[in-house]
Order: sequence, then C-alpha cells, then structure tokens
Amino acid sequence: MAGGISGAALVIVLSTWARYLSLIPRGRVPARPLGSVILQVLGMTLAVAAILENYWSVDGPAAGVVANSTTAVLMGAFFLWLLAQRKTPVGDLKVGVGDILPGFTATTSDGAIFSTDELDGKRVLLKFFRGGW
Amino acid sequence: MRPALAKHAVSVIALSKDTVDEVAIHKQRDGLTLTLLADPELEVIRQYGVEHHKVLGFSTGSLMLGGIPLGPGGPSFKTMAIPTSLLVDEDGRIVWIDQADDYRLRSSNGRVLGAVETAFSSES
Repeated sequence: MAGGISGAALVIVLSTWARYLSLIPRGRVPARPLGSVILQVLGMTLAVAAILENYWSVDGPAAGVVANSTTAVLMGAFFLWLLAQRKTPVGDLKVGVGDILPGFTATTSDGAIFSTDELDGKRVLLKFFRGGW
Repeated sequence: MRPALAKHAVSVIALSKDTVDEVAIHKQRDGLTLTLLADPELEVIRQYGVEHHKVLGFSTGSLMLGGIPLGPGGPSFKTMAIPTSLLVDEDGRIVWIDQADDYRLRSSNGRVLGAVETAFSSES
C-alpha cells in the first residue's frame, strides 16, 4: 500500500517537473502555474502519507518507500522554492525612455571587441538576458 | 519576428553575464545569428542597473558532444542580468523599455513588435 502511494507521489512530482520544463524552450511558461503547484503539493502530501502509513506498519519502514517519498518531497519543495524566487528586483534601472543609450564596450561571441559606436545611425533592440544553459 | 524587425531595419543585440566561451557555445548550439555579447564582469549590466544579485541559475553543461553541451550544468548561485529589452532609434535614443518583474516570463513577440511598430512605422 505505502509502496504504491510513494511511487505515485514520485511520478506526480517528477512528471509535473518534466511538463513545466518542457514549456520553457517554447516560451509558454504560464504566469500563474496553479496546476503545477497543486500537483506538487498533492505529490508531497501523498509522499508524507506513504511514509507515515509505512512507519506504523508491522514490518517497519521499507527502504523503497522512504527513498521514493524523500525524493518526491525534496523535488516538490525545490519546485515551490524556485517558484517563490521568481520576482526580479526591478527599480534599479539606470536608464529611461528618451535617454541617449549609454555607451559601452563588450566582447562578442567571436572574441571581437564590440562598441556602441558601431550602432550610430542604426535601430537596435538591445536585450539583457540571463545567459544560456 | 525576424522579418518584422528587418522591415524596420532593427538589428538585435543580446548581452548576458556569460563568458565569451559560453556565449560562443550558446550561439552555435541554438544556431543564433544575432550579435551576442559577453559581460562576465557585469560592467554593462551594472552600468544599466539591471543586475539581479545572487540568484539560482544554471550554467552550460560540461558534458559535451562535438562542442555542444548535452544539457544544463548544475545549479549555482550567481549574479546575472534581469531580462530587459531596450529599443533604440537611429539617433541612439531609447524609445521603449520592457523589464520582467518575473524572470520566468519574457517579453512576448507581440509586445516587442508592437513597440517597434509604434516607434518606427510613422517615420519609415
């Protein structure tokens, strides 16, 4: 009984992770991932229930149940924690609409030096991004 | 989105805290043609005030196949840029800024194109 519940808990948690991660490359991450949160909490609850049920059983705790449930709780908690970190500290922005673009130099992917002087007379969409991974 | 940007002669430049090597890998892996800039010392990121202190991020994986990483590397805390888009006209003036207060969400194509149309369609 507990083995089945803890296994189901792990499947729920990991498949919710997988589904969420699959949305990222397509840029379709929901603004309010309510479904993912509900499923993660459900998975974590089932995992804890399985451990409790298993703990009081006559045979004592089974290693498989403990392993599955612990992984499910940790992964679920990690998902919820990451989600809680989503806000960025906006407000430190040092440029505004109407300003002249502050000049800078940087290195391109080819190792060449890039300077904003090259942008004279050109329209540009300048993106700051978090980096590739 | 590229044709619409080309129509208004807008080139795209993207800057991140990655090193030159990481940027080169990223560009090759995803087949990007835009200009990618490396700012590992966060000089430009700090100059523009788009620094996001100590957040959990994923680096490029170290497991490589033919110079292309097979997946993301492990998570670690690092300082990186807040996703921010600036549209600049031919006089070097900033005409539009879009900044994410939730890093999971990016500027949508529609928002960027709307800004481009608003800024440049009347004059071009």
